[in-house]
Amino acid sequence: MEIKLMKNILGANDEIAAQNRKMFAARGVVVMNLMGSPGSGKTTLLEQTLTRLADKIKIAVIEGDLFTAKDAERIERAGVEVIQINTAGGCHLDAPMIQKAYASLDLNAVDLLIVENVGNLVCPAEFDIGENFKAVVLSITEGDDKPLKYPLIFKESATVVLNKTDLLPFTNFDLQSARRDLTTLHPSIKIFETSCTSGAGLDEWAAWLLERTAR
Amino acid sequence: MHEATLAESILNIALEAARQNHAAKIFKVGLTLGDMAGVEVEALTLAFDVLKKNTPANDARLAIKRVPVSAACNKCGKVFTLERYNFFCPECDGVLILQSGRELLVDFVDCE
Repeated sequence: MEIKLMKNILGANDEIAAQNRKMFAARGVVVMNLMGSPGSGKTTLLEQTLTRLADKIKIAVIEGDLFTAKDAERIERAGVEVIQINTAGGCHLDAPMIQKAYASLDLNAVDLLIVENVGNLVCPAEFDIGENFKAVVLSITEGDDKPLKYPLIFKESATVVLNKTDLLPFTNFDLQSARRDLTTLHPSIKIFETSCTSGAGLDEWAAWLLERTAR
Repeated sequence: MHEATLAESILNIALEAARQNHAAKIFKVGLTLGDMAGVEVEALTLAFDVLKKNTPANDARLAIKRVPVSAACNKCGKVFTLERYNFFCPECDGVLILQSGRELLVDFVDCE
């Protein structure tokens, strides 16, 4: 016999994500899902963000990492509460992992929760964790062809941070072409150009994030 | 490589449906996958074939229907099938809103 189902394959994850989203909204927490390739500069951008915002709003961080607590230790040094999730090889964070992680946070004392996802341009885009918006970091050394090669993550993200712009003179990365591909794929995407080495663009990025949190 | 997670979820949905309908054997699991759902079918099939061993789905195969990426213009309302991910309307200055292509569904389970 044929049983008609029409069931969402990610239904179990999406259900928990909806619960997370409800919980965050009830506690007045804005959640950003920060994604990008390994080595794109997610953690460094996060450190620079904390330097600029930690005295203005209360921020907590959930760090996704395959095996180590290296990133969490870096964030802790910035004086921000951080929860480590080790996926033990898992390529993305999912909604149940986030639900478990925030159980040990006092959400009432948090304005902005930043979730640093596992370094990966594919899988994290597929899994709703209950965030308000997704952000993706694309570094100059990865190449300007990545938006069209990994369309889903750029389509899903409210903003993209083109990071390591200080390296532009040493690569063939074409900013104009990257910007064109990003807007073609996602006409309303907000694009930032940053360098955590020179500090360029970081104030604009932090101001935007502050505005999104206060909204 | 989230295909293993997806395969596990597909298997659980199929096994649950079979159990509820008192079926002992699953022959086929029908899926609908959008072209923009980020699923590598080969990896999905491989993971499914490993996970199904020694379950009622031991001999089950995946029947996969793909859905092209389509989008409708927010100004002129025309619907387009997208091959390149260009979300600007080719006929006016509107922007295309995704309509299909992100599907990840278990359509049916064939069992007895």
